[in-house]
Amino acid sequence: MAVAGLKARMAAFLKLPEEKLKDDVLLTDLVTESFILVEMVIELQDDLGIQLMQDDLKPVRTVGDLVRVIDSKGSSR
Amino acid sequence: MPDPLTENEQWILSFYRTSEINGALFFGRLARAMKPGPIQRDMTKHFADESQHAWYWTECINRMGAEPLKLSQAYQDKYLEAAGIPANIMEVLALTQTFEKRVIAQYARHSRIVDLQPEVLDTFNKIIDDEKWHIEWVGKALKSMEGEYGRDTIAESLERYRKVDEEVYGAILKEHEQRVAELMRGRGNHAEGKGPWPWPV
Repeated sequence: MAVAGLKARMAAFLKLPEEKLKDDVLLTDLVTESFILVEMVIELQDDLGIQLMQDDLKPVRTVGDLVRVIDSKGSSR
Repeated sequence: MPDPLTENEQWILSFYRTSEINGALFFGRLARAMKPGPIQRDMTKHFADESQHAWYWTECINRMGAEPLKLSQAYQDKYLEAAGIPANIMEVLALTQTFEKRVIAQYARHSRIVDLQPEVLDTFNKIIDDEKWHIEWVGKALKSMEGEYGRDTIAESLERYRKVDEEVYGAILKEHEQRVAELMRGRGNHAEGKGPWPWPV
């Protein structure tokens, strides 16, 4: 999936303008509670038909990290 | 009029309340996101229980003439900090299973403190059966996921979260050592084992 499309989905979920989702922004800075990120990651997987495991998310800290991980899973389907 | 809560008791009961609220919010969000089916159904009941438990603790604290404290962090935040974000529903449930076992052990041990106020004991008694059901439904759900994720992967996740649980609880014990000691001294310190509180499973 195109990176822009992925960021648009994330922005819609988080109810934030897409411009705020710059690659170097920490995911934890975008939410008030960390479990919002859990829900977002699960919803993205459902929407995109991919499956992530925790090992995939271990290195993920920023918006760019998450986009790369999801994009690579999408590409490998 | 019941014995008034000490500041320490007020803090601990408020901590329970905050944890129940966070559990309700977490499972509520997930229940909303889930596809229809037995897991969605049980998760909805789970979050309804957690909401009810938050109300029970609020009511308990009020009945004892106090107000719940506003606390910023609960157990769940510490688990997520230590374990990282669960990536899928299976991992969420594996983390939940570990966490719920810890909660039930903690509530059970606290409830056995001699001279515990009846209002607090009554609240534990109302909550503990629900907590047992939480462990039961999550266990069944994990079993049902073996086809999708594999039995070994699920076992590995449970083991990983068990280790995180030990780490987080060790940190909580250290952080709240004084509160724990005071709680035990405050109303007799006759609980089984007399060890530090909250005790390991």
